[in-house]
Amino acid sequence: MAVLELQNITKRFGGAAAVDNVSFEVGRGEIVALLGPSGCGKTTTLRMIAGFEWADEGRIFIGDADMALRQPYDRNVGLVFQDYALFPHMSVAQNIAFGMKNRGVPRAEIGRRIGEVLGQVQLPGIAERRPSQLSGGQQQRVALARALVTRPDIMLLDEPLSNLDARLRLQLRREIRTILSTFDCTSIIVTHDQEEAMGLADRIVLMNRGRIEQIDAPHDLYQHPKTLFAADFIGHANWIGGTLARRGVGAGAVETALGSIGVAPGAVADGPVTLCIRPERLALVDDETGVDTRLAAVVERHDPIGADLRIWSRLTDGTLVQSLEKNIGRELPAPGSAVILGFRVADCIVLPGARP
Amino acid sequence: MRRPGLTAALLWPALIIMAPLLLGPLLALGHESLKPFVGGRIGGNDAEALTFDNYAAIAAPEYVRYFLDTFRVGLISSAFALVLGFPMAHFIVRRAAPATRRLLIGGLVGTLFLSLIVRVYAIAMTFGPHGPLSGFSRLFGIASSSPDGAELMVVLGLMNTTLPLVALTLLGTLQNINPRLEEAAMSLGAPRWKTFFQVTVAMSLPGILSAGIIAYAFCISNLVVPMLVGRGFILFVSNLIYFRFSEVANFPSGAALSIVMMVVSVALFYGLLHLVRSQWQEAGK
Amino acid sequence: MNGLSLTKRLADAVFETAYLSLITLFIAFSVIPVIVAVVLSFDARGFIGPFPPTQFSLRWYESFMADSYYHDGLVTGLIVATVATLVSTVAGTFAAIGLSRADFRGRGALQAALLSPLVVPNVVLGFGMLIFASRLGIIDGMTRLIMGHILITFPYVMRTTAASLVGIKASYYEAALSLGAKPWKALAQVTLPLARTGILAGAVFGFVTSFDDVGVSLFLTDAFTFTLPVAILAQMRANLDLTIAALSVIFIVATVLLIVLLDRLAGLDAVVGRGVYGR
Repeated sequence: MAVLELQNITKRFGGAAAVDNVSFEVGRGEIVALLGPSGCGKTTTLRMIAGFEWADEGRIFIGDADMALRQPYDRNVGLVFQDYALFPHMSVAQNIAFGMKNRGVPRAEIGRRIGEVLGQVQLPGIAERRPSQLSGGQQQRVALARALVTRPDIMLLDEPLSNLDARLRLQLRREIRTILSTFDCTSIIVTHDQEEAMGLADRIVLMNRGRIEQIDAPHDLYQHPKTLFAADFIGHANWIGGTLARRGVGAGAVETALGSIGVAPGAVADGPVTLCIRPERLALVDDETGVDTRLAAVVERHDPIGADLRIWSRLTDGTLVQSLEKNIGRELPAPGSAVILGFRVADCIVLPGARP
Repeated sequence: MRRPGLTAALLWPALIIMAPLLLGPLLALGHESLKPFVGGRIGGNDAEALTFDNYAAIAAPEYVRYFLDTFRVGLISSAFALVLGFPMAHFIVRRAAPATRRLLIGGLVGTLFLSLIVRVYAIAMTFGPHGPLSGFSRLFGIASSSPDGAELMVVLGLMNTTLPLVALTLLGTLQNINPRLEEAAMSLGAPRWKTFFQVTVAMSLPGILSAGIIAYAFCISNLVVPMLVGRGFILFVSNLIYFRFSEVANFPSGAALSIVMMVVSVALFYGLLHLVRSQWQEAGK
Repeated sequence: MNGLSLTKRLADAVFETAYLSLITLFIAFSVIPVIVAVVLSFDARGFIGPFPPTQFSLRWYESFMADSYYHDGLVTGLIVATVATLVSTVAGTFAAIGLSRADFRGRGALQAALLSPLVVPNVVLGFGMLIFASRLGIIDGMTRLIMGHILITFPYVMRTTAASLVGIKASYYEAALSLGAKPWKALAQVTLPLARTGILAGAVFGFVTSFDDVGVSLFLTDAFTFTLPVAILAQMRANLDLTIAALSVIFIVATVLLIVLLDRLAGLDAVVGRGVYGR
């Protein structure tokens, strides 16, 4: 059964719809990421679930209860703010006790739970410190503890890692995942960072301009994007525009400036389409490898990016494409050399519409 | 559903207390100002019909002079305060060490807190005929006993308040200007003075004008300074209103002057402030 | 070093001199009169003679202590300022919080109206209050003074509190709500404690404004109830001796103590604000 259900939620700010007919469900113990660029409506959606904004249309259920008449303090949600919002005039213990006091947890129980939760977030012995005496990562974990300790029906995390530096972000991502699964807590994480969403969530709700683009598991969202926006927003991509010429049971073909390219049969409508090939699926090929499509190109530049080399090449129609090669000391064609780039039918995602 | 209850509950105490205190005097003044004045009794005559005579009387040149003096002297004092106050605020924000900064801010707030009468008295004692700086007015070629000397004393008296007021207001402005911009200007080859005027002053302009307007509002409503050091040569509209009350007990005329002064002050303050803000919003700031 | 750079350095030296001169002028202008008043208060001469005094005594302090007129004014002034500040602080703090949350039409107009006594000359406020009080039949000096002083202290408290609320992130209040606190409780336990510096500063500003007021008080005093500045003003016009200088020194000492207290309690930086790029 769904712990949270949004039904056709719409929210307008002065005419413009910030959230436009959004519906999704979150199951018990599931971690769902609301992902999208800034201004896509993800934070507004989160604030409506928390009760700080009110939907103009649609309904929100937590458990069986309709939230329409519930004030924020009447909803059993745990909220972790982007800036943590730890009360600066209270100690860590007082911050954590705050929610329990309001929810009528007995005094002795409060003391016990503070110790317990600080152990669970691996911050024992900081109960008497002030938030200003903690590092960013510690503040983040106290904010998590403060919300979790009230045993909320659902946890809401607003850009939980955006205030931390890159190294800490990676470490805390793992820790948050561990902590949330320890509590077996149903959670929603709002983020604009695809890696964060991929690393934390069981499912991703991808939003754009107030609407849901796609809901899928992280891997599926990357491998099987359904829209140009989804393919573009997640990961890197090479684009080839064309027209779907032949649709058959066995195979299809797309007519492009580079010639006809075979594609897997799919549900894409006739008309302009865009082919999306991920860089790691585009390879420098010696003539005889098992690829289905071969494109002539001239290498322009090598960018070393750690484990891989990103190779930029120009196709015969002038399109610049990128491909990845393992950075293992192999001799690679120098800039200026003519090469053949190849990919398989299965590596080529057909998306409806033309890129602007 | 949002509950407006709390917001309203927070506003009610202020409304219940302030509405009568704001509106009562306003209506009382408005009514009084329309009563005909009969010499020899306190307050206007209730028996006769209401009249605009009291307002018409204000247009007479001898009254207009008080308004002009008020606005002119206020302008001089505010302008001087800006010239002296801006470098001081800049020094505190950009250059002063923490201890100096605290001392200077303490001094500014202290000057503002110190009784105005005490400050004007100290100015009178310092620049007055027996004071150690009695020769100050001669620097400007003004005899201290002349009307111009009185005006200079009023300007100095007002500046004693406008200076800390302007400096403290400008602290806020300067603290919101990114010091990296000044560094950028200098690294692009601008000498310090050019950086100061073309970056710091230019970017502070809305704040400078706002501070000037606040100082000006303070100046034109002043009573004590002209009363103590104006020696009858310089009197502000506030003094005139007080005379209507204390010397001649002409309440209707005092009320009419009050209404005019109130309208002018409010219009000047909000009008100028609005002008400054809209000007700078248009410029994309 | 080329010629261009030399010119720039010369210009900078001129600029630096002007800059420091203006700051020196500012400090001199603010400090010298205070020193003069302090020195004069110890003058042994019975008249206002050329500066500096030749002999020193405490006679003006004795004359001040012996004068019950100032004493009465001081007591009345303290009572009026305390009552007015208390009322203004409670109502002004609530109003500032209410306005910061409000989103109804006319919010700006209401705020401008509540702040308007800052802009209207005090003489106008005092004269209006006098006529208003007499129409209501209120002739008691203390009542009239308190009414007038609430009017002038309220905007100071509301403005300072409002400024300090701007620095308090909305997420603190929202965090309290999401942790189950009712709005009143969230305000009392989170917003008010965080705004306490601003509220304190506003109350101090309000108190000082009230205690120092002349424009409003001149109209609202009666023969037996008058504030200290009104008493000083009356004495100054009656006989200009150096008792006022002695009184000034007491004022100066009290102000210094107040500033030190304010710095200890709230920190002067917190009172005047640090801004975005403040150090």
